[in-house]
Amino acid sequence: MSRFLKVFSRELANALLLVIGVTAILYLSFNLMPGTFIGKGGGVEGYLNLLKRLFSFRFGVSPVSGRDIKSLVLPAFRNTLLLTFGSLFVSVLIAVPIGIFSAYRRFKSYSWALSIFSYIISSIPVFFLGYLVLYVVARYTGFLPVFSVSASARGMPFLSFVLPIVVLGLGNDSISEIVRLVGGELERVMSLDYVIAAKARGENMLQASVHEGIVIPLISIVFSKIPFIIGGAVVVEHVFNWPGMGRLAFQATLDRDLPVLIIIAFLSVLFVRTTTLLKDMILYSYRTSES
Amino acid sequence: MKRFYFEKETTDRGGFYVPLYRRASPVDAVSIGYGLFVVAYLVVFFIISLTNSFIKDPMQVDIGQMFMSPSFEHLFGTDFLGRDIFSRIVKGTEAFFLPGLLCIAISTLFGLGFGILAGYYPRYCAGAVFYVLNIVDSIPRFIFILIIIILFNPSIYVIMIFVGITSIPKTASYIKAKVELLKKNRFMEASRALGLSQATIIFKHIIWIYSKTVLIIQATLRMGESVLIETSLSYLGIGVQEPAPSWGNMVAMGKDFFFQGKMWLSTVPAVIILMTIMGLYLLGDGLNSLYNEKVSR
Repeated sequence: MSRFLKVFSRELANALLLVIGVTAILYLSFNLMPGTFIGKGGGVEGYLNLLKRLFSFRFGVSPVSGRDIKSLVLPAFRNTLLLTFGSLFVSVLIAVPIGIFSAYRRFKSYSWALSIFSYIISSIPVFFLGYLVLYVVARYTGFLPVFSVSASARGMPFLSFVLPIVVLGLGNDSISEIVRLVGGELERVMSLDYVIAAKARGENMLQASVHEGIVIPLISIVFSKIPFIIGGAVVVEHVFNWPGMGRLAFQATLDRDLPVLIIIAFLSVLFVRTTTLLKDMILYSYRTSES
Repeated sequence: MKRFYFEKETTDRGGFYVPLYRRASPVDAVSIGYGLFVVAYLVVFFIISLTNSFIKDPMQVDIGQMFMSPSFEHLFGTDFLGRDIFSRIVKGTEAFFLPGLLCIAISTLFGLGFGILAGYYPRYCAGAVFYVLNIVDSIPRFIFILIIIILFNPSIYVIMIFVGITSIPKTASYIKAKVELLKKNRFMEASRALGLSQATIIFKHIIWIYSKTVLIIQATLRMGESVLIETSLSYLGIGVQEPAPSWGNMVAMGKDFFFQGKMWLSTVPAVIILMTIMGLYLLGDGLNSLYNEKVSR
């Protein structure tokens, strides 16, 4: 246990150091920009001020819209978290069965078609997929609310989450990668000695290899995909009018609202580093509990 | 040349040298072939759009021929101003081809440099180099690009330079792992004992002989990514601007007519984007499993 705490504190310090580095780069870029801005200048003292404000979550007021940044960003951040985790869940739900299926040698000819299918899904441009889904759902079926949160959900607000989550889950170009990784790892693990021994004892091969073959590669890839999915969320939120961080960032770009964008970058870096820390600790405890 | 590969290439079929094209499984062969087809049409499109011949003028507005269906004269139909969609698609390769190559060049060059620094001199450089690379890695790429767009109001070339910078860490970490693996090998020890200079060891043995394949795979995947990013940005309206054709802004312009049933306006460029990205990813992954490197996107 003390070893776990030691590793945890080391990784935590590492993450904090990285977040501070990122804020330094953001501050530098903030000061490189031509023109005058509120909060610009001040050198090292200004940077320390910015750090203090960022880490106590007092973000101040947007110079463009005049609104409190905290009340603007935090709900959007929550919505984006929902979108990110939901779409990751959808991706895993689709990709893992295909990966397992393609790991068995006797299904090779079917699984080839499935993996090509996964490539096609994951390389559809997500903006086009969004419009296609909107078109089909709005025109031909109409049982899902098309535009989002609390607009037309008729008492069932969670229904409006379905379309964007599914679209981002299909189109975030990670499905083919998960399929490839899980399939390859599972195939490798299934030919290891201990799995063959388990088969000889009459156990299920998949059950014997599930830890090393599926869970560990899945954890390592899913957490490393999170920054990309936040990026893809910008486009999906634009298509579905989802009140999230990506749309806010895009709006801030159009308005040249740099403080909002920097706060968004800070929050997403915090989020990414937290998930990376989580991944490292999960993998660490997994390894120690196995051996 | 081939004898340098002995430990890798002779593992199949009882130790004899087997050429690459015979070791490829049918799946790999098909995916690499399709990927090469995609690369071929990209190059051909780019050359055609440079020479400005063989195609109709992509900027030519013809109000009399709006929303034409695909026909022999207009291969993919015409758009809402009567411009020929096929020639706009051909011209649209200009939007990402050279910027994508720039992105590949930057990520490969700097990734190679940082990776070798961190792998070959781990005592002095690894910590610092990977601290900087982790900083770059932990900002989500799209948000980073948006910040760059606010700060510098850049052209697509500058954006792609920064996309290249954000993909340095990936290349660097693969190269570092490769170098660490190679350093344990006997031939490194032997080459040092023979008195080869460090430059020879690094440039000839590490980079040219052993890291080539990783770099090629990385480059193909980078190209796919830069197509994706360029089309997404142009779709959002902050990449390539409208009169200049780009596959992204063609989809964006066509989507307004999607609900009227005029589907090919945005479907054709979207399908081309799909084919291109899929081909580049398939090429990268096919080469990956052919050379048995473990490179992911």
